[in-house]
Amino acid sequence: MPECSNPLWPCAMTGAAACLAGFEGMSVVIHGSSGCYYYPATLLHAPLHGTFILEHEVIFGSEERLLEVVGGLSGKGKKIAVIATCVPAVLGEDIRSMLENYDVILVDSPGFAGDVETGYQKALAALPIRVTPDTPGVNIDGVSLFDPYSAGNVQELRRLLQASSIPVATVFCQDRFERISASAEYTVGTNGDFASGIGEYCGGTLGLEEVRATFGRMANLFGDADITPVLAETDAQEERIVRVCDKYLQRYDPPSVIIAAGYAYAHFTARTLERYLDADIRCICSRNPPGESRYAVEQVTGIGQVKDLVGSHDPDLVIGSSFERAVSPGRAFAGITPPLRGEIRLAPRPLAGISGTLSFVEQVLNTLLDTRTS
Amino acid sequence: MTTHVRDTASVIHGPKGCCHHNVSLLHATGLENDRISIPELVSTGLSESDIIFGGEEPLRKTLESVACRDVRAIYVLSTCIIDTIGDDVTGVCSGDYPVPVIPIPTAGFLGGTFQNGVNNALIAIAGTAPPCGRTDGVNIIGERNLEYEVEENYRELHRILSNLGLAINTRFVHATSVDQISLLGAGRLNILREPGLIPVGEYLKQRFGTPYIASFPLGLSGTLSFIDAVARACELNGRCVAEEERSLQEEILMGFSDIRDTPAIFDQTPADPESVRAAEEAAGRLRLKIGRFPDSTPLPAAPSVGTYGVKRMLHRWRRAIHA
Repeated sequence: MPECSNPLWPCAMTGAAACLAGFEGMSVVIHGSSGCYYYPATLLHAPLHGTFILEHEVIFGSEERLLEVVGGLSGKGKKIAVIATCVPAVLGEDIRSMLENYDVILVDSPGFAGDVETGYQKALAALPIRVTPDTPGVNIDGVSLFDPYSAGNVQELRRLLQASSIPVATVFCQDRFERISASAEYTVGTNGDFASGIGEYCGGTLGLEEVRATFGRMANLFGDADITPVLAETDAQEERIVRVCDKYLQRYDPPSVIIAAGYAYAHFTARTLERYLDADIRCICSRNPPGESRYAVEQVTGIGQVKDLVGSHDPDLVIGSSFERAVSPGRAFAGITPPLRGEIRLAPRPLAGISGTLSFVEQVLNTLLDTRTS
Repeated sequence: MTTHVRDTASVIHGPKGCCHHNVSLLHATGLENDRISIPELVSTGLSESDIIFGGEEPLRKTLESVACRDVRAIYVLSTCIIDTIGDDVTGVCSGDYPVPVIPIPTAGFLGGTFQNGVNNALIAIAGTAPPCGRTDGVNIIGERNLEYEVEENYRELHRILSNLGLAINTRFVHATSVDQISLLGAGRLNILREPGLIPVGEYLKQRFGTPYIASFPLGLSGTLSFIDAVARACELNGRCVAEEERSLQEEILMGFSDIRDTPAIFDQTPADPESVRAAEEAAGRLRLKIGRFPDSTPLPAAPSVGTYGVKRMLHRWRRAIHA
């Protein structure tokens, strides 16, 4: 059936906005209706502009309105990016020609083109990114304003790279806009679902094994790098994780788990829970098309499917968004997937790097213990 | 609005993303109002090829599927792209389904503003209510279901109406059942949340002959005027109730005498003119020095429904002055 009950994942337009709005020095214009503007504006917490087209523009064309908005933004020292939403895409107007007098990045990313990852990649492809051999260090990628962990991930990666004496080049996509024209030849990842494909990939940083492997690769690439502090910290913190998880297992059975997240985060949490808590991963409900996995995994697009899977697998622990929390009353819950509504989050928290694994295991153990005691 | 009619489904005809926007925002506002459950919204999930070849067939299949669920009605909400490509939504909805299928013209920007969408939905839902005999209760029309303090505003209205000896007939619509909607015509008076709902008030007046008051009570004197207007519309003597309310207001203002003579200025965004007037009135009663002085404290001109709405606003003022 084509229909989808309570769709769980945003559209391509939101993905494009999540990519572009991460750059300082860029004005992002949503060319579409007020509704298309309002949702990413509230979700991404970033300044966006809108053309707010009305019936008049659909009938007589949107050129005048688009030029009014772009004209108002031009000449202010910021690069302008225009995201074309569903209706302008269908109207068949030549938006590129309309904007020929302006230096504008145009991203054709209507909602019907796909999900948030599709739009993110469309926006990345439209950016004038240049890799320059003279730029030292590594880029960080996988960063999206859509991801509640992105700010924490960047902070954590900067910390680890600094500890290893490896300079940070461009952060995709949370950096000053001009830095994309001088990106490094190497890239380290934080979230594979938003991988940039820019430069040579050194590896990801989700989980302590990935941290060790990726920093090991970078030690071979950068002569001045010293990864000893990172490896030492990884070992020390893993010991702490093992100790608290072992204490949990002394008293309780391993948790059975359903994980609902983007594939990269879902796979990381499954590996982590299996490694440290011997968890029974009953199902991964991937928001996006999943890769190969040793776990039972399926793409899940609506909350009804999640509810059915939670009912049939009867897990102790549910990992997901506030949608999953709503359909899992009485079960331990850990939120890692957007949207995380109904909770206050002020401090940046990572999922990547050493602190990301610490933070995740801490969150899981606390919710499991809270649920058992209540 | 349609997700507040219990035991029904709302189908959003368009790409999945449009439906997700609504699910996510309604979920967020629901959690802020202590509602954990997620409203039942179904997307027709249109893809690029559906946009090219037309979305009527996916809509028909979706309606057939949803009609087999345990629902008493289906509301169909169209999106921007649907009116642009020209799907005959009304035609598809008039097909043979086991439950009523009610199309609501809400085609994003083609449907007009947010308020137009609210009005269109309320009028479409009201169209399903049959004529019925009068009761002594009054209807509450068009509560702002996305408002953070929607329940507090309802409780204040309920308090004022109870003081007048009036009961609530139907909350149209806020967690309302299909059976309650069928009693819509029984109300003796309709109280609209705000003047933007006057087209709905007029529709109900024409359909059921029910008079209406165009707004919830805002501010101190506005609350007293509201009591007077409701009493007159319901042919009651509201003088004693108004006097008691006036005494309550005086008592509340006395409790905030510590902030008298404070220099302050109103933060007027995003308050509407009525809320600003209500705030100015309260400031005048407390003799605050309103103006752009060097030591002026910015105060929120918050929408304040009824006397207790003003009281909550005054607590926020005191916090701002002391912070």
